[in-house]
Amino acid sequence: MTQPAGVEFHNVVKRYGDVAAVTGVSFRVDAGTLVTLLGPSGCGKTTTLRMIAGLELASEGRIEIAGRDVTAVGATQRDVSMVFQSYALFPHMSVLENVCYGLRRSGIAREEAGRRAREGLAQVGLAGYEERQPSELSGGQQQRVAVARALVLRPSVLLFDEPLSNLDARLRRQMRQEIRTLQQSLGLTVVYVTHDQQEAMAVSDRIIVMNKGAIEQDGTPRDLYERPATPFLARFMGESNPATGIARPLGNGRIAVRLGEAEIAVASPRVVSGSVTVAIRPETVRVESRVPNSGGLTGRVEAASYVGTHMEYGIATTVGSLFVVCPRVERPLPVGHEVDLLLEPRGVILVDG
Amino acid sequence: MTRAGERGAALAWPALGLAACVLLPWYALQDGLGSLGWARELWNSEESGAAFALGLSLGRWWLLPTIACLFAAAITALLPLPRARRGTLLALCGAAGIACFVAQALGIGLRGWTADWLTGLFGELDGRQFGIGAGGAVAGIACVGIVASGLALRGAFGGDAFVAGAVAAVIASIVLFTAWPILRILVQAFQNGDGAFVPSLLLERLSAPKIWTLRCLLGGGRCGVAWNTLFLAVCCGVGTTALGLAFALIATRTGFRYKRTLRVLTVLPIITPPFVIGLALILVFGRSGLVNQFLEWAFAVPPTRWIYGFQGVFLAQLFAFTPVAFLVLIGVVEGVSPTLEEASQTLRADRWATFTTVSLPLMKPGLANAFLVGFIESIADFGNPIVLGGDYRVLSTEIYFAVVGAQLDYGRAAALGLLLLAFALGAFFLQRRIVGTGSYATISGKGDAGLPTPLPAAARRVAMAVALPWAAITALLYGFAFLGGVVKVWGRDYTLTLEHYVKAFAVEHGANGLIWSGAAWHSFWTTVKLAAVAAPLTALLGLLAAWLLVRQRFAGRAALEFATMLSFAVPGTVIGVAYVFAFNVPPLEITGSALIIVLCFIFRNMPVGVRAGMAAMSQIDRSLDEASATLRGRAPQTLAFVVLPLLRPAIVGSLIYGFVRAVTTVSAVVFLVTAEYELATTYIILRVINGDYGLAVAYSCALIALMLVAILAIQLAVGDRRLGRRAGPTQGARA
Ligand SMILES: Nc1ncnc2c1ncn2[C@@H]1O[C@H](COP(=O)(O)OP(=O)(O)O)[C@@H](O)[C@H]1O
Ligand SMILES: [Mg+2]
Repeated sequence: MTQPAGVEFHNVVKRYGDVAAVTGVSFRVDAGTLVTLLGPSGCGKTTTLRMIAGLELASEGRIEIAGRDVTAVGATQRDVSMVFQSYALFPHMSVLENVCYGLRRSGIAREEAGRRAREGLAQVGLAGYEERQPSELSGGQQQRVAVARALVLRPSVLLFDEPLSNLDARLRRQMRQEIRTLQQSLGLTVVYVTHDQQEAMAVSDRIIVMNKGAIEQDGTPRDLYERPATPFLARFMGESNPATGIARPLGNGRIAVRLGEAEIAVASPRVVSGSVTVAIRPETVRVESRVPNSGGLTGRVEAASYVGTHMEYGIATTVGSLFVVCPRVERPLPVGHEVDLLLEPRGVILVDG
Repeated sequence: MTRAGERGAALAWPALGLAACVLLPWYALQDGLGSLGWARELWNSEESGAAFALGLSLGRWWLLPTIACLFAAAITALLPLPRARRGTLLALCGAAGIACFVAQALGIGLRGWTADWLTGLFGELDGRQFGIGAGGAVAGIACVGIVASGLALRGAFGGDAFVAGAVAAVIASIVLFTAWPILRILVQAFQNGDGAFVPSLLLERLSAPKIWTLRCLLGGGRCGVAWNTLFLAVCCGVGTTALGLAFALIATRTGFRYKRTLRVLTVLPIITPPFVIGLALILVFGRSGLVNQFLEWAFAVPPTRWIYGFQGVFLAQLFAFTPVAFLVLIGVVEGVSPTLEEASQTLRADRWATFTTVSLPLMKPGLANAFLVGFIESIADFGNPIVLGGDYRVLSTEIYFAVVGAQLDYGRAAALGLLLLAFALGAFFLQRRIVGTGSYATISGKGDAGLPTPLPAAARRVAMAVALPWAAITALLYGFAFLGGVVKVWGRDYTLTLEHYVKAFAVEHGANGLIWSGAAWHSFWTTVKLAAVAAPLTALLGLLAAWLLVRQRFAGRAALEFATMLSFAVPGTVIGVAYVFAFNVPPLEITGSALIIVLCFIFRNMPVGVRAGMAAMSQIDRSLDEASATLRGRAPQTLAFVVLPLLRPAIVGSLIYGFVRAVTTVSAVVFLVTAEYELATTYIILRVINGDYGLAVAYSCALIALMLVAILAIQLAVGDRRLGRRAGPTQGARA
């Protein structure tokens, strides 16, 4: 049994032949925290995770776990466990044998291994399922066995590669909460890979967003959502509408951005003026029937759909077509209706580039 | 791993090598290691000395560099060094050790230095090369192990010393026992009788009119062996493909009731020695065969030797290799997606149009593949041409006579071997291109299958008309083959008797218990023993190589895969001749031993094990291995607890194949057997050549029985895998 450990990447590159799957990433994961690698499919998340596990060895750079250089050390010797996307339960072993496997390989006697495995299974709520074969379990149960199997080793780092992608939406929400609770109560270091932005925000202490093999931004969920550094991030972390406005400094770390007819004061660390790119969060925009001089952005409803919890509108404005959600569902605005869009400072994000 | 553990692991190979240099005789002993007399002479005899003694006090200074490299490796392992540095140094020490080892092994021959410039450099040599023995072998292996462990420390092979060692072992053994012998053929083909290197000689040997003449077309005399071989192979390829297709269509696309019988009939030839059909053909069509006797009796036609020659070999090969074509084509026919055929039918094509415009074109690459398989089998065949060929000489028999016959012309044998190899590799590359590029036959694995469209009536009638008589004749031939063993003298005296079996397999009670007095027992037990030793090793090496190829990524992976596949295409005759050339002189002097036969079995049959293993392994989700690795399972444990249990069917297959092929093979081992190590097949062939059909047939039947027993035993011993409720797919359990 080992202490949870931190992980550090220093300029790590992974190449397959000529293609670089990961191009020089550096980050650190503090001991006892849950950090998520988030990004679109093919951006190099799995590759990065597998390099932590030692299933792939880095082509360049240095990897440290618990302060020790493990760059050339294989998976078996790294004290890292992983929960696979496919669960990878051994089909020829019972549930108990699966969970015992790592303990036995670590040289723990059969009885002790069995006891710890039962304990682990109880921890994930699967007491009583020891003698089943993996094929006799539901998807969610298989998932739990995979977690228990990795957990009982008390690895210094625990890795998850899209662990919930094979489950239905309801189970996904429940499992991610269970994983987070386990991680916090046991103080584990967890690196978690997902492409689902909501899942990442729900479970993480920190999120590392990757794009095209490189790190795009690294921060807390709130940082990333409210202060995305790039247009890619603004788009990727939740919905947003890109738009171009004219900026004018106001002083006090604020600038005024003119968007069509509307002008709005937003916080900005830098003093900028002239043309700027902003991202408008759809849930922060209020849609009202047109009144003269409302100070809002004028537009016309192009599309309206009812999705149960809210209305979704496509609205044509002078700064382009905007996607807007509106919690009022009782009296939807008809297509063709003239509207004012009232912007909120927190919903207009200044992005570089 | 801790620094100390790392050091200990790094020390293992150098320590083993040094121990071998002190404790084992470096050279091969006349009577093996069994009697421990050598232990007393380790320090004072040139024949059975250990490397240290030989190098330091017995004047064989050329062994010292290798020992020094082992020493350097041991010191490197003990020094406090960073991981990567230690790895680099170890790899260098090991590589230097291999270089020194190989240099002294090849630089010194039976008569001192093997090259003039070496004599010039070191002066006349006092001493000569002996065959490498236990000490030398272990030291050489240790050097390879040192390189592997060094590379693993540097982070190659996923940083895993076991994987590194396994890769090194597989590569080294393939280089030593496949590549090196074939290289020796190449060299031999350029050498004259005195062993001198004459570049023009190969051309001279290959352009001999006996090989290439086309006189038969002009009406006078016989054609060259190259044309004979090619013509036979093309006919065999076309014939087996046509028959195989007919069988495959019947088995998959008709409601034919006796499909199972059909399958048995097509599998039977695989477990029979390849010349049994030839033997049966002699019994039916031979000079004193049934047909001739009937003609003589009914029409007073004098008996002829009609069957001997092209027609006989062709018929025998058709019977023998149609099952192989069937097995290839059944996959192809089943691979044509029924959905496509159903789509075609919904597009107003009737069954015949669907068959000719959709199904057949989709099968085309598969048909080409089957043709090439038949082609390769035919040129590699030795048993049927030797039994039935008569004057119709082909390359494989010609090589045999060049080596074994009165000519004793090794250079010519080597040149012919190269030609045969060229044909085989040519066909092999063609086949790979066809299989690699043009195959559309795919089974999607999705549940969209639909039902296979029944064969159109006309096609069905043709297939039946071809296949059923053929199946009947095969059954008849087997029947006659069996009968031949239980009648007195075929052709003259048809009284039933067991005398052939008695002659072959008699067991008597003597004063000291049982006496195995039958004529066949000696070769029978030799065969069983050697095959039983070879089969597990074949399976092990094959599956290990497959595991490395499918699961590990390392530099040279593609080259290794290619090399194993290539050795599959090398005809047995070529391998046999190559082994004779490569292993009858030091440094590796093992001709005449059981070892060379076992090695030949292993490296002949391993490629199929590799293929089977790769196919099975690619059905097992890779993440299972990785899960084991992240759960502290080291590579050998992963192999033992996860991969092998899931591979049971492939293990059974490889074991059976390794055993059956070892028992039935002829072409490679005819060059390697001796009076002491005689094999069943070569013994039978000699009986056939001497016209002793009764005994030959009886013995063949016994062999078939032996193989059936062995197959059952293997299946019982290895068992099946159990995957619980939904037994079947071997992927990681998924939602
Ligand atoms: N074994 C491999 N060989 C070659 N390319 C690979 C291999 N594994 C991944 N890649 C490539 O590396 C990139 C990143 O892959 P991956 O890390 O699996 O992405 P993600 O998990 O973020 O979807 C992809 O473009 C993929 O095609
Ligand atoms: Mg992925």
